[in-house]
Amino acid sequence: MQLGSLRLQRLPSAHPGIAFAARAAAILIALLVAGVGVAISGMNPFELGGRVISASFGSSFGIEDLCVLVIPLILTGLAVAVGQQIGIWNIGAEGQFYAGAFAASAVGLFVPGPQWMVLILMFGAGFVGGMVWILVPTLARAYANVNELITTLLLNFVATLLVYYVSTGPWRDRSGMANSATPPLSAEVPSFWGIVHWGFPIAIGLAILVAAALAYSRWGYEVRLVGSNPSAARYVGIPVRKHLITVMLLSGGIAGLAGMLEIAGTVHRLQGGISNSFGYLGIMVAVLARGSPIGVIFSGALMAFILNSGIILQTQGLTTSVVLAITGFILFLTAIGDELSYYRVTRERA
Amino acid sequence: MYNIRNLSRRGFLNLSAAAGTSLLLPQGLIKPARAAEPLPAIAEEEAVIGFGHVGPITDEGWTWAHHQGLLAVKEAYPKLANILEVENVPYSADATRTYRQFVSEGANMIFDTSSTGDFLHQVVKRAPEVAFMECNGHLGMDNLGWYYLAHWYPTYVIGVAAGYLSKTGKLGYVASFPVASVYASTNAFLMGARTVNPEATLQTIVINSWFDPQAATQAGTALIDNGCDFLFGIMDEAGYLQVAEKRGVWAAMWNTDIRRYGPNSYVSSVIIDFKDFYVDQVGKRLAGTWTPGEYLFPMGGGVDRDTWGQNVPKEVGKAADEVRQKIVDGWSPFVGELKDKDGKVRVEEGQKMTEMELYNWDWSVDGVTGLEG
Amino acid sequence: MKETENRFVPPAGAAPIIQLQGVAKYFPGVVANEDVDLEVMPGEIHALLGENGAGKSTLMNILTGIYQADAGEIIIDGYQRTFATPLQAIGAGIGMVHQHFKLVQAFTVAENIHLGWSDTPRRASAAVLEGRTAELAEKFNLQVRPGAVVSDLSTGEQQRVEILRVLARQARLLILDEPTAVLTPAEARELFLALREFVSGGNAVIFISHKLDEVMEISDRISILRGGRKIATKQTAECDPHMLANLMVGREIVLADMRTRAPGAAPVSREPVLVLDKVSVVDGGGGRLLDEVSLELRAGEILGIAGVAGNGQRELSQVLTGVRRASSGQVVVGGETLNGANAADFAALGIGHIPEDRLNSGLAPAMSITVNAVMREYARPPVSSGGGYNPRAAQLLAVDIARAADVAIPDFGMPVRNLSGGNQQRLVARREMRIADKVLVAAYPSRGLDVGAINTMLRYIVELRDAGAGVVLISEELEELLNLSDRIAVFYEGRIMGIVQNDNPDIEEIGLLMGGRKKKKAAA
Repeated sequence: MQLGSLRLQRLPSAHPGIAFAARAAAILIALLVAGVGVAISGMNPFELGGRVISASFGSSFGIEDLCVLVIPLILTGLAVAVGQQIGIWNIGAEGQFYAGAFAASAVGLFVPGPQWMVLILMFGAGFVGGMVWILVPTLARAYANVNELITTLLLNFVATLLVYYVSTGPWRDRSGMANSATPPLSAEVPSFWGIVHWGFPIAIGLAILVAAALAYSRWGYEVRLVGSNPSAARYVGIPVRKHLITVMLLSGGIAGLAGMLEIAGTVHRLQGGISNSFGYLGIMVAVLARGSPIGVIFSGALMAFILNSGIILQTQGLTTSVVLAITGFILFLTAIGDELSYYRVTRERA
Repeated sequence: MYNIRNLSRRGFLNLSAAAGTSLLLPQGLIKPARAAEPLPAIAEEEAVIGFGHVGPITDEGWTWAHHQGLLAVKEAYPKLANILEVENVPYSADATRTYRQFVSEGANMIFDTSSTGDFLHQVVKRAPEVAFMECNGHLGMDNLGWYYLAHWYPTYVIGVAAGYLSKTGKLGYVASFPVASVYASTNAFLMGARTVNPEATLQTIVINSWFDPQAATQAGTALIDNGCDFLFGIMDEAGYLQVAEKRGVWAAMWNTDIRRYGPNSYVSSVIIDFKDFYVDQVGKRLAGTWTPGEYLFPMGGGVDRDTWGQNVPKEVGKAADEVRQKIVDGWSPFVGELKDKDGKVRVEEGQKMTEMELYNWDWSVDGVTGLEG
Repeated sequence: MKETENRFVPPAGAAPIIQLQGVAKYFPGVVANEDVDLEVMPGEIHALLGENGAGKSTLMNILTGIYQADAGEIIIDGYQRTFATPLQAIGAGIGMVHQHFKLVQAFTVAENIHLGWSDTPRRASAAVLEGRTAELAEKFNLQVRPGAVVSDLSTGEQQRVEILRVLARQARLLILDEPTAVLTPAEARELFLALREFVSGGNAVIFISHKLDEVMEISDRISILRGGRKIATKQTAECDPHMLANLMVGREIVLADMRTRAPGAAPVSREPVLVLDKVSVVDGGGGRLLDEVSLELRAGEILGIAGVAGNGQRELSQVLTGVRRASSGQVVVGGETLNGANAADFAALGIGHIPEDRLNSGLAPAMSITVNAVMREYARPPVSSGGGYNPRAAQLLAVDIARAADVAIPDFGMPVRNLSGGNQQRLVARREMRIADKVLVAAYPSRGLDVGAINTMLRYIVELRDAGAGVVLISEELEELLNLSDRIAVFYEGRIMGIVQNDNPDIEEIGLLMGGRKKKKAAA
């Protein structure tokens, strides 16, 4: 049989088994290529791989690190995924993350009161901060049909600069203990295992909650319908605009909550660098999860593992750029694998 | 690279530092160690040392200078089991992960060359058997000390030169963030210049980055357009030096000698050297005598001005160097009365600012504009 | 219809332009074509007739090199050929105009004609391309405006561009897939003239359709496909629509007056169930899409809406179902004025809606059959209670609807777009009938369906009428309206030109009304 008789055929949906296999293959190929690269640069890829595994999972240290890292990734991923349910690309999770962190910090720095009360207010402020940050893009989209890609993206820069400004300016720590951050916040999310704080179960719980709401509520049904085909939703009489607004605000709020948990649970001060691009990574997490809120838990975990491996590899002497290249390559191949799982090869009879 | 996330510290150093006197107390010890039991000795063959940097070691600046320190350690202790080095440690929870990973890799001593603060301290608390030193840190613990450079002295010296060289009396400053080292730097620079030209002023532009050649270039251009004829700043690259060269104004730099990017405009640099310090600290850790100290390197002991640029008139260099010698001999220029930009007296007449006050400076003296507070 | 003496006789001694022998094509689990023989002679318009899924498209895709046959031969001018790619088929003189045009909307006609064509001059100004296009248009007698941008053209003009594009590449065999589906009757007549002229030069046309009348009108011979096999090839002159319909679906179809009520059917009510009182719809630019329309619909009757598409039918169906609010005037259902209501309120009152464009507005194509099936009832028990949505109950409901629609569904989780057009329409119809206690608004329910599916659809409508609902039937098929409606309202430019009782209708009058003119006697 010659090659010419083989044809590619695109299927309307990917078989879950094939999708899984394609993804596994993508990761294996990326690791293989990375391994060859590492070997060429004179290191032993197997030893390196072993170290990554043992450093990630071999100690409670490593697992704690992963658990903490996964919190903002799940939440920003969830924020993007929720938007996708209704056909919105929230590229502004980064800005909403900062806005949530900013609002929660304002409470943590300036509102007196018992810890528990301040903490509850911080949760509220983080969520509302994220919502406020997506409010203008939401209204622009809902009432003037202005594309949210641009509006949400642009606000990221505003939020980042705002946080840099207050944390190095008016709110900066004047005690001399930290030069480019605010003083420690008066309340923090308590830890329950090592450094792992309650943000971890909250993030996973929220993802499950959102998934359940989408699958098992009338609201979820309507949102999915609007996301899949707004004109069909209009035809049935679903208030498209109302859902669009609610879901976009929810998306912003979740990203804001991610920012709040990062400062209240992990960093404890507001400073410019809090988001390790979590908002943008959230887009990748959501894409890898194919927009599924439950999937976000797993792709968030995968992303945390990859990022954490990057840190481990750096201590092994690989430079940042190599680590970034390997990370990017894995994601790139995963995306290709996902796409390919929609195809099957058929053999044409001559 | 110093991208926008790596908001952090900066440094200095030593040119003609005292000939390797690691048997003596290192220069600049502010507080001799806390009353902690020294950590036990380790055989050189088993010891692992870690360095975490804010930028890449190829930056020709801050991180490069620390990397030279690492190389000096390697040379002094060639049998070390391992030296871990990570570049581009961000000022975020990733820093915690990096230093935690150092601990997992068995590090006995860790240098955080970019002051990651709480992110480092979280690890310090959980690894009591590991010695930590934080550059530009502020906190001491039983296993954590800090070190930094008294850069305000060479900056003051360069300020004196600027007082002579600037015709307009308008000085420009490209700043990263409004943080303590920038306050100290801008204040010392203008105070030096005002000893020569009491009317001199300093205009500051904050670009929110330690490394952003494009923004630094734009800031430099804007300052020159505003009439400044002498540029200074804390930047890790030569952006505004090249602008100064093109526009024919003076410029002074930081970290290392980068006069080749603007030989005609180059006046001097605040240059930094960590080699002796690192060798000394590692030696103590191996010997079992290390306890956490808090160090500010004095001028001539890790931080200094660079040799003067080719176009700097001999007499200007000489006048500035006379001031330098006075400082090395123990004189301090930072004596009241000092007023802030609102005219409020912040340092009383005759009162001398302590090294810690200089280190934590967070207000601008009268004549400095552009920084908050 | 043709006279018997118009029997098609190929030129003496002529070889077929194209000949298929024993062609077969298999997809996993499906026989798309098997054992198909087909001969197309020079000078012939050969109709290919078949229901949706009969294998017409696959067969044409084989002929044009998109698929390769699994068995059988393609013989052109006496030589056996295989086409590995569509380009090879074009090289052999076979060109196809698809139902969905493959034109670049932002380009001019001339640019589209010259796109991807080896004869296009390397460097050519717009003027040169337009000149060449004008020459081609002249040569093939197809009127196009070479400088016009495609997106500004009417569908009929776009189709001419497509045809010209194919003819310019020296096609001898032109394949047209449902070419009249997108045309007005006048445009269709022009197309037929152009086709006649094309074949008179010794070329041939394969004309795919399921409209019996037009096949009778245009073709010389007719081949009928059913279940992937060719059932028969006949001289058109020897056919009649009834016989073709039978061959096509393989069973008897009654194309008959469906106005007679079954015994026990609900009578036409005295009081109207739905009233439009001077309803107008104004668009953003102030244009009146509906102009003071007043209508009364009674329970148990079918009100037909006739008119050339684009004369307010879309807006009428939207206003009747709450998808769009009237700019002025009142919509009254069961005595209740519904000016502030939305589509969900209308549905709750018992108004069903089979929309004009079912795939884009009546369904969410990417979502599961279950989700689509319960679209009207997801908000009430048993599918939801309180704010909850019960996927299991939803699936049970979907199974019910599918059973009523007689659609076999292997997996209710698969996207609804995987169903055939006819099955989608049946599902939508059944879904809407369940809620249409009072009124069903059916916009072009038979559009794009084959004869069998149309028959089912019309039977549904009659069933609903007999159950006592009022039906508004919007259609462009006059015959369908005449077969079903009790009354026919004719729309022209957003206004009702007249309402005709369908007991002894004057077809000429309806035609005049559609054209915006009243008969003299009506004016008097």
